[in-house]
Formats: sequence, C-alpha cells, structure tokens
Amino acid sequence: MNNDQLSGTVWFILGLAVCLGSLQYKLGTPAAPGTGFMPFLSGLAICFFSGIGLIHSTLRRRQGEGWAPVLQGVFWKNAMIILVSLLVYALLLVPLGFVFTTTLFIAFLLRAIVPQRWSVVIACSILTAAASYLIFEVWLKAQLPKGLLGI
Amino acid sequence: MDFLDSALLGFQVALQPMNLFFCFAGVLTGTLVGVLPGLGPVAAMSLLLPTTFHITPVSAVIMLAGIYYGAMYGGSTTSILVNIPGEAASVVTCLDGYKMARQGRAGPALGISAFGSFIAGTLSIVGLMFIAPPLAAMALKFGPPEYFSLMIMGLTVLTFLASGPMWKALLMAAFGLFLGCMGMDNMTASYRFTFNILELSDGVGLVPVVMGLFGISEVMLNVEQSMERSIFKAKIEHLLPTVKDWAASLGPIVRGTVLGFFLGVLPGGGAVISSFVSYAVEKRISKHPEKFGSGMIEGVAGPEAANNAATGGAFIPLLSLGIPANAVMALLLGAFIIHGVQPGPMLVKEHPQLFWGAVTSMYMGNVMLLVLNLPLIGLWVRILKVPYPILFPLILLFCLIGCYSLNNSITEVLLMVLFGLIGYAFKKFQYEAAPLVLALVLGPMMENSLRQALLMSAGSPIIFFERPISAILMGTAIFLLVFPLIPKFRQKRPALGE
Repeated sequence: MNNDQLSGTVWFILGLAVCLGSLQYKLGTPAAPGTGFMPFLSGLAICFFSGIGLIHSTLRRRQGEGWAPVLQGVFWKNAMIILVSLLVYALLLVPLGFVFTTTLFIAFLLRAIVPQRWSVVIACSILTAAASYLIFEVWLKAQLPKGLLGI
Repeated sequence: MDFLDSALLGFQVALQPMNLFFCFAGVLTGTLVGVLPGLGPVAAMSLLLPTTFHITPVSAVIMLAGIYYGAMYGGSTTSILVNIPGEAASVVTCLDGYKMARQGRAGPALGISAFGSFIAGTLSIVGLMFIAPPLAAMALKFGPPEYFSLMIMGLTVLTFLASGPMWKALLMAAFGLFLGCMGMDNMTASYRFTFNILELSDGVGLVPVVMGLFGISEVMLNVEQSMERSIFKAKIEHLLPTVKDWAASLGPIVRGTVLGFFLGVLPGGGAVISSFVSYAVEKRISKHPEKFGSGMIEGVAGPEAANNAATGGAFIPLLSLGIPANAVMALLLGAFIIHGVQPGPMLVKEHPQLFWGAVTSMYMGNVMLLVLNLPLIGLWVRILKVPYPILFPLILLFCLIGCYSLNNSITEVLLMVLFGLIGYAFKKFQYEAAPLVLALVLGPMMENSLRQALLMSAGSPIIFFERPISAILMGTAIFLLVFPLIPKFRQKRPALGE
C-alpha cells in the first residue's frame, strides 16, 4: 500500500459516513431539496474523488510506487508534544486562569522542545503571560478566564 | 453621483485624522504579521475584530483592510531574508528572493518587492474603483443560478491551480463543502451534524479551522525540523533598485499586476494563487527559465506585484456581489455584518461613504507602507532574529488567544487543535488546505443558491445552462475540470507546486 492508497481509503470511508449520516436528515427531491441534500452531495463527491484517487494510486502502486515514510528523519515527537500541550492548555485555561496557565504553557514549551536556560524560561514565560494579559485583557477587553488567582 | 464626486467623497472620509490613524494601525499590524511566520492576516484580523466593535464601520473596515494588504507587503521580508514565508502568498518569493540575499542582493530584492507591491497595489485600487460599481449594478441581475455557477467556477479555478493531483484538491473542496453544511440549515432551521455540541449549531467556525490548518500545523511541522535559521547577517544596502533591475522587473510587475488583479477578483483566486501563477508565467516566457530559482529579480518582482494586486481585486466580489473571494474576505464580510452593513449590490448606493472611504484609504495605506517598509527593514530583521524555539510558543499563544477570545469558547480551541492535527496529516500526505477553506466559506451560500435555483426550475439542473451568465461560468468550470484529462494538455496544467 502506498500513501495515497491509505489516504484515499480513509477519505472513501469518511465520504460513506457523510452520505449515511445525511440520510438521517430529509434529502427531499431535486425539485424541493431537503436538509440532508447538500451534505449528501458533498459526501458523494468525497466518495467519487477518493475513488478516483484510489484508482490512480493503485495504478502507481503497480508501477512500483510504495509507501513513503512520513515520520522518518524528523523529530515527530516534538510535534506530538506541541499537540498534547495545546490540549492541556485548553483543559486548564478555565480552572487555572489565563495568566497562570499561559506562564506554565510557555515555560513548558521553552524547556521541552529545545531546552533553554532556566533564566530565559522564567523571564520569557512570566513576561509573555504579563504582556499578553495587558494587551488582550486590559487593552483589548478580550475577557480571558480568571481562574483560581482571579487573573 | 459621478465618479469624480465619489472619489472626492472617499478622500474626504479617508483623510479624516481618525481614519488615517486606523489605516496606519492596520498597515503596521499587517506588516508585522506578514513578517512573523505562522501568523497570517486571517489570524491577525480575527484577533483584532473585537476591537473594532467600538469604532465606526468605516474605520473598522479601513483598519481590517489595511491588515490584509499590509501582510502582503510584510510577507516578502521573511521570504527574502530567512527563506521562511511570513505569509502564504510569499512562499514563491523564497525561491529567488532568498537566493538574491545569499548573493549579497538582499537590498534590491527587498526594494523591488516594496516598489512592485506599491505599484501593483495602487493600480489594483484604480481597477477596484472602476470595476466594482458597474459590477454591483450588473449583479442586481444575478439570481441563484448565477451565484451558484460563480461559486462553482471559483472553486474549480482554485482546484485547477492547486499543487499535486487535481483529485486531491477536489476532495479537499468537497470536504470543505461538507464542513460548511454543518450546523443550522438556513432554509428549514433544522440542525445537521452538530453531535450535540452547542458551538457547532452555528456551523464550524472559520477561525478555528484556519488557525488550526495554517497556524498550528505549520508550527508542528517546523518543530520537527532542525530549528537553526539562517538569518541574513550582512548589512542590507542598495534598497533602491538600479536601472538594470528596473528594466528586468518592469514587465513582470505589469504582468503580475494584471494577473493578480483578475485572479484576485475570482472567488477562489486570491493572493496565493496569483503569486504562483505570476511566477509560472515569468518562468515560462523568460529567455532563461533555467535560471529561475537561482536569484532572478523577475522571480521576486512578478509574484510580489501579483499578490498585492490580488488584494485590490479580492475586494470586488465582496463589495459588489457580497461574495467573499477568500478566507480574509470572509472575515471582512463578518466585520461588515457585525457593524450592520450588508456588502453587495446595494452597498455603493446605500453606504457611499463606507464604500468610497474604504477604497480610497487603500491609496493612503499603500503610500504609508512604502514609506514605512523600506526604513523599517532593520526593525523587521531584528524581530526575525528572535530564535524560533522562543518564537514558536508565542505563535501558538496568539492562535490560542485569537481562537478563544472570538466566542470565549474552549470547544473552539479544541476544534482548532483538532484541525491542527488534521492540517499536519494533510501536509504529510500532500493535500492542500486552501480549497477546503474556500469551500467552507462558500458552502452555506452555495447550498442556498443551489436549493433556490432547483426550486425555481422544479428540480431541473438545466437552469444553470439556460441563462447566459450562468452558462458561461458553468462552461468555464467544466472546461477547467476536463482540461487536465486531455492527454495533450495534461502536462500544461500550471501546478502551483512546480
């Protein structure tokens, strides 16, 4: 299996799911299209184009195009650390408040990806949290979550 | 009111001190976000949208528009000096701009980029002033079939010009249409695909999708690589291009302006495509195509003119038809609506001050950018010297705050993270996200037009081919879809990635 065969299969399944999901809503008729009409059409289009992709990639597979590793030779764990830290930030933002969560978030990223000196980590994280609070909360009135500390 | 009176009215509005201030604030912010990789005009505009609630609609539109065309100016600086595009429309500028910098010609590259942008930006505003009002008058004759065909053509143009196999781009557009269908059905007020999530009842938000696909995924890809940036260290001299540079650049600037303007007008066109097409055209007509990519000034002048001309062009469908040509214009449409103004055919008549004020302010903005940009290059370089391991947490934070502050919703932040992961996978498997975003924006409008047109024709799709304007638009779309299937022309599709 090559990369396009895999992605084409995923798309085809997604397209089918969209079509089936659309049937829950009224499809209507061409003269009076219902709520599910357009999602059904888009699901059909996803199936159609992924089908073309599957044929195309299968033909290329027969010509010898194999799997091209997508995570080889890169620090993919860094990308995953970013993803997890974003999720944790989103979950902690309301209970802990903007300033505290942001300080932790910046400090963690500065240490976890390319470790910076502790002095840089502490200064950058506190300054960033304070500056962004002043800009977005005080100046732009963005209504950021207050959390435990009330800021 | 004739053209001259309208233009004078526009200048009266644009020259008011408050509007000049917001124009300056917009272009300065735009240049900054253009310079900073990972933070594009969409993110900046969504961050600043809430701040416009307390100012007049004219000032709000002037500032938000300034961010857009300011970002086009700023994006080239990073491309030329660091080989990282500050903005998607400046990707192609890296190819020759960075090579010029490595050869000690960063000054002329930055200079021609600024002058080319100024010339193209100014000419495109002239085009906007002349074309938008008559087009708005003509648009009064547009019905649902014409609108639907126009949007189909826009999507087809974008997929035709997207990099890689066309089926991937069409797949992205289809997925974008599906995302655009989520939430409330405007015609029956019933909900679809909301999965009992309150935030999805208004549909999938544009901001979380765009910030995830373009902001978060970009950072994820960057941190996978070695983060040592080759910042241009030599002194930047000779910002004013020589006569020889001008002679080489004038043709590309003119061609880039024309191409950029008309591609910008098309829904689905816009600055990114314009810059790629301009580069492809310059390479194709050059006597030395093999030298492109090795530091040709034509490869900087053309695309930079094109992406700035496209910004002027992109305002035309929004101001005259009420259709956003790209994600940035979709945000601007949102800003108009928040301020109680509906862009479209009646805008010029009902809000002449806003229309002409916003358009003429762009002249001021372009002059400000030219005056600002060249002397401030040193400052931008210093900003760029901030190491990426320190810069990327800030970019992520901007995305988080921008996404959260729009509706104070954690669900939207989680949605952004999800789209960050999806965007990362797209890039790994070489799918381009631009068709998805445009389809997401156009989706609800396309659905309404399609259903209204089918109601009008009692279900017959022939209606799209019976009416002349619709038939031309639909015919063009079909031609673009069939064109790559013809073996003789298969190799001639101007793929953006080449």
